[in-house]
Amino acid sequence: MMEKNQKNTQSLSGPDITPDDGIIVCKNLTKKFGANLVLDNIYFAIEPHKTTVVIGPSGCGKTVLIKHLIVLLRPSAGEVYFKGQRIDNATERNLSRIRAGYGFLFQGGALFDSLNVTENILFPVRQHYRVTARSGLDELVKMKLAMVGLDGFQHYYPARLSGGQKKRVALARAIALNPEVVLYDEPTTGLDPIRADVINELILKLQSGLGHTSVVVTHDMKSAYKIADRIVMLHRGKIIADGNVDHIKNHPHPIVQQFINGQVSEDDLAVLRMSGKDLKSQFLPEDFQE
Amino acid sequence: MNESVVGAFGAKTVEDVNNAGRAARFIGRGLACAFRALFRPKDYELTWTQMNIIGVRSVPVIMVTGAFVGMTLAIQAYDQLAFMGLEERLGVLINVSVVKELGPVLAAVMLAGRIGGALTAELGTMKVTEQIEAIRSMGTDPVRHLVAPRVLACLLLTPFLIIYADLLGIIGGYFMSVVQLGVNNSAYWTYSASGVELWDVSIGVIKGFFFGGAIASISCYKGFHCREGAEGVGHACTEAFVASFISILALNFAMGVIFKAVYNTLWPLRMLL
Repeated sequence: MMEKNQKNTQSLSGPDITPDDGIIVCKNLTKKFGANLVLDNIYFAIEPHKTTVVIGPSGCGKTVLIKHLIVLLRPSAGEVYFKGQRIDNATERNLSRIRAGYGFLFQGGALFDSLNVTENILFPVRQHYRVTARSGLDELVKMKLAMVGLDGFQHYYPARLSGGQKKRVALARAIALNPEVVLYDEPTTGLDPIRADVINELILKLQSGLGHTSVVVTHDMKSAYKIADRIVMLHRGKIIADGNVDHIKNHPHPIVQQFINGQVSEDDLAVLRMSGKDLKSQFLPEDFQE
Repeated sequence: MNESVVGAFGAKTVEDVNNAGRAARFIGRGLACAFRALFRPKDYELTWTQMNIIGVRSVPVIMVTGAFVGMTLAIQAYDQLAFMGLEERLGVLINVSVVKELGPVLAAVMLAGRIGGALTAELGTMKVTEQIEAIRSMGTDPVRHLVAPRVLACLLLTPFLIIYADLLGIIGGYFMSVVQLGVNNSAYWTYSASGVELWDVSIGVIKGFFFGGAIASISCYKGFHCREGAEGVGHACTEAFVASFISILALNFAMGVIFKAVYNTLWPLRMLL
């Protein structure tokens, strides 16, 4: 069974994938910022109605990858498909319609400071629908806030919310239009372990309740193990591991093992040991006198 | 050595040209979206909010600026005119200077500081906290949603703010000249009325339209393209003010030349009429 799962997921990140292999498909995705190669020829299909978690060390290109899935960034080379339709070369006007099918939870929440919770949640609704009945909107806000356990916070401004509450309101905003795909950029970063677990539970609850496709970028392995149907590991712009939780836990690649176990490499340790070895470790006030 | 200097110069030139092109495209899009916002009732609420922030709340500071311009002109010019026995013509000098040049320019500079800095800081903070990207991710064009209402509000209201500055400049000049320095009231207004034409007032108001567009466009561009962090936002605010200030001076000069040519062309026609 595990072998089957492994084989299935590996075929979703190989060069033979087609635009119809997933709800979102990246082919030969490459991104450069100047001379800096961030994503290097990535083939990647995301299965519908499942949670795909992208892990990797800081700076490996996870956020850049997730932003390509909604075309907030355009690739230097390669293609991105949404439901079989190529979107990386779409005009901003066409993308406006396509993006209504997505929800995006930003790392810091990205709530609008000048709007209260209600207005934040209604922002995407007002942009895509002509609204005439106010009562329907209140009902919608109440429902979305209840989903994230924050009913009653309708009139709060973001400045009055804690970090965890901001992320939950941002999540309520992300699902306001009942999107088919929800993208989470480091949803548990900056939260204490309990608040982080609340977010994990919310992701699971929304996933099972709404049945959308989730793509989560994180380096929090506890979170990844809890919510993932599939885990993809990025390293230096390439996918080096792809499979279910058990597959990743038992992956033979030393970098995967080092990352999931949170171990510093021998090379890094050697650099740390050598760094400053010949320098004084303390100073005295006299050192600053003539 | 020479090659590296030439290479660095070339790279800097290419970068500057790229930045200028990017700024021109952004400002062009902002102005086009502002024009379209005029015919999009859905966006009126956004524009109305910005008109309140940009226009209504700027009235006191603009009026104070205008009043001091008029009073200072009166104090500075009185002695020279009195020396030649022409103090009754003080009104012409003050009022022409206020409505044509000093009122519009100094009011615009004050607006660049008050509004330009605020717009850049607000949009810059929205950029570094990913709020602008959040707007895009929800399928909304951030230029249409954020830039167009601000540009439109500035375009529409700066001319009115300049009228306020002119009004207070005239009152300030009158107060100092007639009440404080004892110039004859009737002569002051008679000479003023004969020296200040509708054309002079119109020039100042038309200038306000261009100054407002320049301040809003430049400030929004700097906010949208500021670097990460508090230093990036602060730097963008400084750049926005400096660029707005220079644009105001350059536009003022260009419009001075254009309006003079127009006036000289139309003057004989007016005589015929």
